[in-house]
Amino acid sequence: MVLSKINILVKKELKDSFYSPLIYILTGLFCFMMGWLFFNYLVQAKTLTSATMTQAVITPIFGNMNFIFVFLCPLLTMRSFAEERKQATLDLLLRSELTQMEIIISKFISNTFLVFFMLSFTFIFPLILAFSGYSDWGVVGSSYLGVLLSVMAYLSVGLFCSSLTDNQIVASLLTFCILLGSMLMVITVNATNNYLLALMIQYLTVPFHYEGFVKGVVHSYSLVYFASYLCFFFLLTLKSLQSRKW
Amino acid sequence: MERNSDIAIDSLNLSKTYPGRVALSDITFSVKKGSVHGFLGPNGAGKSTTMKILTGLIPQTSGEFFVNGKIGFLPEHPPLYPNMSVQDYLKFVLDIYSPTLISQSKSREIVKDVMVKIGLIHVAERLIGNLSKGYQQRVGIAQALVHSPEIIILDEPTVGLDPSALAEIRDLITKLKNDHTILFSTHQLHDVELLCSDITLINNGKIVVSGPLDSIINNLKTRMIIEARVLHFNEELKKKMLTNFKLDSLDVKKNEEKDFLLTMTVAAPESLKAELSRFLSQENIGLLEFTEIRLSLEELFKQMIH
Repeated sequence: MVLSKINILVKKELKDSFYSPLIYILTGLFCFMMGWLFFNYLVQAKTLTSATMTQAVITPIFGNMNFIFVFLCPLLTMRSFAEERKQATLDLLLRSELTQMEIIISKFISNTFLVFFMLSFTFIFPLILAFSGYSDWGVVGSSYLGVLLSVMAYLSVGLFCSSLTDNQIVASLLTFCILLGSMLMVITVNATNNYLLALMIQYLTVPFHYEGFVKGVVHSYSLVYFASYLCFFFLLTLKSLQSRKW
Repeated sequence: MERNSDIAIDSLNLSKTYPGRVALSDITFSVKKGSVHGFLGPNGAGKSTTMKILTGLIPQTSGEFFVNGKIGFLPEHPPLYPNMSVQDYLKFVLDIYSPTLISQSKSREIVKDVMVKIGLIHVAERLIGNLSKGYQQRVGIAQALVHSPEIIILDEPTVGLDPSALAEIRDLITKLKNDHTILFSTHQLHDVELLCSDITLINNGKIVVSGPLDSIINNLKTRMIIEARVLHFNEELKKKMLTNFKLDSLDVKKNEEKDFLLTMTVAAPESLKAELSRFLSQENIGLLEFTEIRLSLEELFKQMIH
């Protein structure tokens, strides 16, 4: 029952997104940047004789992919709630049989699907490497899982920011600021002499957990981190939607 | 709250306060089942706030209300997705409001019926964003109807429409009144006269009057406004008139042509009009004109609000 309700909104959201040019522009941009980087790393790899293919191509490619999504995710999520507010359709959804959490989850799933759509074009990279004998699929798999989890975290921030305003530009800028701000926390880690504090701050940043995935290591605490990250921002979005009634 | 099965909406002492501002205070009124109830008032009177409370979009600060059945709501700005076709949009609204209705063919049938009823069938495939304002308003009404609610609440459905679209929406409401209880807010008093059986007049967040339209108009009409033009007039005569005829008000204006225009408001029976005219003609003050001003509904409401 819950799934069928979520399904209705997810389908509508996806239809909306694929009818608008934004997703195609972003996907085009993403593919261009990733293709260009992949080509360069591949050419460079020839000169790095001591490095493996994973070190020379896979690790840097996924590092960059994650960073590019910090810019793309705010653009994907900016319209989620902001546009609904502007069109006065948010009340239509809120008055319906869908609960607020179901609305948030539906928007999240549809955005995640869009990211998956964008990511699917990069599946060609490991395929190209496979032709030259590359076979470290564990690292590729965990890297994709890492990208997907980090991007899901970014999307949850984006949804929250979008629920705060009816201006899409404000929503995307706010998301970008929060994402970049949380990434810059890593620098703070270097600045402090307090070891415990440094560890705590480090644990709170996405890149720290993402690093493990790219190395092919899936830490259980990283999974817990991403799950709590999502829950925290879902809760904030829920509160933001509820605040319309305050 | 005690539930009467003849009542569709019952609101008791509804109040809404925002920090530093009272939006609604003690709103008490009821909407009879099967009636078309007009909700009137100037801008900022609290009409939309009351409607939002009744539809559950915002909570009241105090008081309670009872709604006997499902509500279909058209807010002031119709909640439309401009990139969706009319058909897809109505299907989507039906799906999220009645998710238990699993059969796709049945939901398609319902959407088609509503489109025929509202006169949207020939634009079913068109994008909502490309439709005229009148048609968009129709789509707004259709979305309020599509999940078969017993009660329909329309917030200013006729605002900003051209005269022909206005007439169409009016016809539509007339058609709907057989199957639904309708509560709608408007500025167009002409709509009220044509469509409503009951009204509630609200001003500054307070109910001014609520009840059947006929009895409200009759009550108002017991107050007459009489205008008389005379050549001579003085304070003594004014006092005499105020005491003899128990006038509610007597306004004297001196015209440039050196005559006086008297405007009298009388809360009195018809017979007083004759007595008043006899008095003025006997007083030898040069009575030039004596007319009863017929008040339009609009003027009647203006009087009540001020």
